[in-house]
Amino acid sequence: MRALLRTLSPLLGLALAAVGVILVIEVVTAWVRPASSGLVVPWPAWQLVLSELTWSDRPVKVVSICVAVVGLLLLLIALLARRHDVALTAPTPEMTVATSPQVLARLVGRTVRASDDVAAATVSASARTVVVRAEGWPDPDGSFRGLTDTVRGRVSTLLDELPLARRPRISVSTRGRKEPR
Amino acid sequence: MSTTDAPADGSTVAAPPRRVLRGSRRAVARSARVDRIWLGLLGFVLLAAGTLAALLGYGVFGAGRAARPLLDPLIVDALRAQQQLWRWVAIAAGVVLVVLGLWWAVRSLRPERRPDLLLDESEDSTLLVTAGAVAEAVTDRTAALPGVGRARARMVGSPGTPALRLTVWVTDDADVADVCRRLETEIVAEARRALGLAHLPVAVRLELDSVTRAPRVA
Repeated sequence: MRALLRTLSPLLGLALAAVGVILVIEVVTAWVRPASSGLVVPWPAWQLVLSELTWSDRPVKVVSICVAVVGLLLLLIALLARRHDVALTAPTPEMTVATSPQVLARLVGRTVRASDDVAAATVSASARTVVVRAEGWPDPDGSFRGLTDTVRGRVSTLLDELPLARRPRISVSTRGRKEPR
Repeated sequence: MSTTDAPADGSTVAAPPRRVLRGSRRAVARSARVDRIWLGLLGFVLLAAGTLAALLGYGVFGAGRAARPLLDPLIVDALRAQQQLWRWVAIAAGVVLVVLGLWWAVRSLRPERRPDLLLDESEDSTLLVTAGAVAEAVTDRTAALPGVGRARARMVGSPGTPALRLTVWVTDDADVADVCRRLETEIVAEARRALGLAHLPVAVRLELDSVTRAPRVA
């Protein structure tokens, strides 16, 4: 999302500047030569069209909705382009240590998959939560309590070892495997 | 340079000023705050304009308003009544758009600053350490630490308030807390001493060196 922000920002800045240049050119041209039909923009023709269109016409509604959707997308990009770092405790106040949620997820995934009880696992992580979806084999009574406890214990031990500034909440869900162990 | 010299006798240094603490947080990555604010504002304006125009078209504000032309004769008459004034307003709006747009584009495209460190300046000599030299030295020293696969350092900030950004790829068996401690005591402290700086904000970003799968079968 930040790459999109970095790409869009200069393009939109240049677009705004272009609109400003065209506005100044057209106003000055119309002022100096009132009989002209526009230097870059054929504004007399546009004026005629805009005078005939009403707000309830279909093209106007379509363009309005498109503008609103583009605005919503830009707003979402701006809101979602923040950094999602996982903060770690630093040895001194002059130092800031951080890592990405992907690194935390990879560490957790590697730890969980190293267990013999786990056949497969997917992990998503953020600074607040670590979500593990593990596949394994049920206990003799048919429940997955053993698998859940194993996964939760391993993740908890790993989080204790990491110098995280804030300990994320652990969420574990389990699924059974039909194949024999 | 506003940074103060480190005490030569190794006495305790006072707590880092607030700007140093801010500097380490800012050095984590290049800030995108201004881009996000401008993009958010533009998005909000477009969303509000589009929504209001659509609501107007669907008759939410009355069927009479929806049937009026886009270029309302009432508005055209009002503009024509004060033609001189509105011409100047339009020119001013255009100039503001040009200045803002160019400022935004240039700011977005401008590369991040890498400040050189001015250690000493007299009438006939100047002692300057380039940002590249500092970065290279710190990179080499960091990469040699146990538990570190590779490293990349970069000077960021301004010449008055320089900061160090360190990206460290730790190995699978690394003790992350120990790596951080060694970075502070062996790398950053040495850099401060060598550069004669009392404070040097540091932002460390930890990555995993490589994906290695633990064996499932012994």
